Amino acid sequence: MLENYSKQVNRLLKNIKIGDRVLVKKGKKNYEGFLMPRADTGDKDSIVIKLDSGYNIGVKYERGMKIKKLKRAPKKTVEVEYKKIKFDPNKPRVAMVTTGGTIASRVDYRTGGVHALEKPEELLANIPELKDIAYLKDVSSPLKKMSEDIDYKDWQKIAKEVAKQVNKNKGVIVTHGTDTMHFTSAALSFMLKNLYKPVVIVGSQRSPDRGSSDSFMNLICAVRIATSNIGEVGICMHGSTDDHYCYFMRGTKVRKMHTTRRDAFRSINEMPLARIFPDGKTDILNKRYKKRDDSKGVVADIKFEPKVALLKVYPNSDPEILNFFIKKGYRGFVIEGTGMGHVPTSAKKSWIPPIKKITKDGIPVVIAPQTIYGRINPRVYTNLRILFNETKAIPGEDMLPETAYVKLGWVLGHTKNLEKVRELMLTNIAGEIAERSEIDAFLV
Amino acid sequence: MIDYKKIGFKCGLEIHNRLDTKTKLFCNCKPRFSEKQPILIIKRKLRPVAGELGQVDVAAMYEYLRDRTFFYNCYNEETCLICIDEEPPRVINKEVLEIALQITKMLKADIPNEIHIMRKIVIDGSNVCSFQRTAVVGLNGVLGTSLGKVGITNICLEEESAGIVKQDGDEITYRLDRLGIPLIEIGTAPDIKNPEHAKEVAEKLGMIVRSTGKSQRGIGVTRQDVNVSIKGGKRVEIKGVQELDMLPQLIDNEIKRQQEIIKKAERENSFLPIQNMATTRIAKEDGTTKYTRPLPGGERLYPETDLAPIIIDKKLLSKIRIPETWEQKAKRFSKFLPKEMVNQIIKSEYLEMFEKLHKKYDPLLVASTLTSTTVYLRRSGIDVDVSEEQFDELFSCVKKKEVSKEAIPEILEIMSKEKILVKDAIEETGLKVLSENQLREIVRKILRKHKDLVEKERFSPLMGLVMKEVRGRIAGNMVAKVLKEEMKK
Repeated sequence: MLENYSKQVNRLLKNIKIGDRVLVKKGKKNYEGFLMPRADTGDKDSIVIKLDSGYNIGVKYERGMKIKKLKRAPKKTVEVEYKKIKFDPNKPRVAMVTTGGTIASRVDYRTGGVHALEKPEELLANIPELKDIAYLKDVSSPLKKMSEDIDYKDWQKIAKEVAKQVNKNKGVIVTHGTDTMHFTSAALSFMLKNLYKPVVIVGSQRSPDRGSSDSFMNLICAVRIATSNIGEVGICMHGSTDDHYCYFMRGTKVRKMHTTRRDAFRSINEMPLARIFPDGKTDILNKRYKKRDDSKGVVADIKFEPKVALLKVYPNSDPEILNFFIKKGYRGFVIEGTGMGHVPTSAKKSWIPPIKKITKDGIPVVIAPQTIYGRINPRVYTNLRILFNETKAIPGEDMLPETAYVKLGWVLGHTKNLEKVRELMLTNIAGEIAERSEIDAFLV
Repeated sequence: MIDYKKIGFKCGLEIHNRLDTKTKLFCNCKPRFSEKQPILIIKRKLRPVAGELGQVDVAAMYEYLRDRTFFYNCYNEETCLICIDEEPPRVINKEVLEIALQITKMLKADIPNEIHIMRKIVIDGSNVCSFQRTAVVGLNGVLGTSLGKVGITNICLEEESAGIVKQDGDEITYRLDRLGIPLIEIGTAPDIKNPEHAKEVAEKLGMIVRSTGKSQRGIGVTRQDVNVSIKGGKRVEIKGVQELDMLPQLIDNEIKRQQEIIKKAERENSFLPIQNMATTRIAKEDGTTKYTRPLPGGERLYPETDLAPIIIDKKLLSKIRIPETWEQKAKRFSKFLPKEMVNQIIKSEYLEMFEKLHKKYDPLLVASTLTSTTVYLRRSGIDVDVSEEQFDELFSCVKKKEVSKEAIPEILEIMSKEKILVKDAIEETGLKVLSENQLREIVRKILRKHKDLVEKERFSPLMGLVMKEVRGRIAGNMVAKVLKEEMKK
């Protein structure tokens, strides 16, 4: 059965394989070329033929139509040239952990299909300059998922694998789909205890099936950062729309801020840690980073409470949603408040009574800013005082809502004691809370 | 005269024509050149992706691209995130698809049941994504010509590339307003009989595109690639011929070039000169060609995975109307224009303007103004830069007898030179039509001055003197009438 082709087309294509040279006879018309696979779009009844001009067309099934195999598909596409290029063992040793984003993938130009890379050398075919930067020996693939499908168990798997690799290598790069990359970077920031080496998460916004992909420069810069003196988890992606430099941004202070642009990842509420150029030039932009210390060993501290909800209030929002989660056995909440951290207070559907009840029952409610930028303030307005003094909600400082969510899950994985949780949520553990609100940290 | 049959002349054409649509092919940007300054200049690198170039040596391609940096000028209304490869393409522009299907129908070509958009690898930086999106919309068509049928192998829809601004060593700057303008590409079979025939085929294909009424006009909107080979030589592709009139000469030059190489091979008794013949050349303005980097054909194409195939069903096809062909148009025009002028106006860039204006004004005057007058002005070095509205206004003034038709060339000249409106040009030239009384005044003045001629009843010299004063401001027969009357007094 050929995937995505209809039953009748499959019947017609019996004994014919993708890539075979075929002759399709339809009425008086003949079409000759190679049989191509069908994507999940278009007409399942149309047979995709690659003509000798290189163009694909779809020939719709018709009763009485005939298809003849002229030649079997060539065995395998030409071996890629990576075999000629080798890594140099004298360079700093860097590990690569792949999780399944498009960045560590390869395109089959015959079919347009995308396959995951299996050997580190395959990267060299596209980015030969990596061999002058690092000795990329250990490539492991704890999972192969699109990032929207990644869950806390995957974070735990990645954290364990990264911890293992960190102790063997100078640094680790983690390739990852971009959608939830900042959740994973936050998770690794909390889970990698006693980390003093760079763990660089990298992805691409334009897949490497095009010569203009951002993945090449992102990877080069990521590998460079992996050999640098910064001993933290962070995301390394394009700093601007130019192929000029990347930013290395702290894992707890970074967010995807655009659906498609290559410079979508922005450092929030602080300057990026560094600007890295592909040639290795590195400008430190934020001096508050942890320095590399190769004498220390990392431990994966992966306990995590998944029953935490991330909610958002908005005009007309119904707090009844809280009861839904409580009934489902949820153990913690992060609520994205408006402005400095408000929830509807004197409104018809006030969130105050249910939050009060929840915290009374020992379940933490953390308020994070839906403005993305800025800090929660528990004092300046009456309604803020009601929320934070009367209901005992926890003000999330200048933590990103996503970071606050991951942190709360991690904290609850270690303790359910509300006072302990409150204390930990208000303590800076992995750079997630900035002591000062710096002037130049907005829209960078 | 070369016997083209005897030398084994084989020739096919590929014409590219920009379409005049509301938006670009895969985004909603304006498909036009910007006259403003770029709002942003971005900097990008390209690299080969292993395997994509088939037999081409990826390592060599890497070396080639490594040191190159591309700069792209972005414009406010003509460039968006899609143009700079920061957002996936939108669905194909429906208007363009319909035009392409019209052309396909006119060339009696097969339309695939499903159109697949492909990526054609381009590594010179002229496409920000490193590929050009292209799709075949028609196969196996036919074009009738004076020397028999010429096969149409394929009709494709493509995005226009970015225009080069400057190259400074390894730094190349492109402008992105042009990128993504819809382009129709028509390729013929090697059925062309001789260089003049090539010109005819190119002209006819151009007419077909123009008959949709959606062809862009101006320099560079149509480009031809020519494939030429002769017995004993190799197939050579000459890219980017813009001047149709240059086509026959260019082909003849290429034949001579190939003949010399073949002779050299014979002299040296070696195949090497032919083997080493470059197969892709670029047309230069003087009718000769220069070598350009060759790229393989079919291997350059792979599927555009960001866009779903387009299903062409009966419902869509039934909506596609074939526009009036140029033959039908010629027949219609010949009812009110002499044959010579019909040909001129059909080939003219002002065809669409003529279609609109000839219904309102004297067709002969409109046609001759738009053809012979503009050609005459251009030959005398004046770049006629007058919009349809302004032509309309000009003809309207003639119709209302505010200005005589004899004044048209001078008005157009002033308008183009000084970039002013019809009304101002008429004012400025003093070419406003004279009233009969004004004319009579002038005539009387002249008669008073030249009493001797009046006495001798020398009409012609007097007519000459009056015309010198009033030419372009009033019709000649009116002058004659008034002069005769005044002479009798």
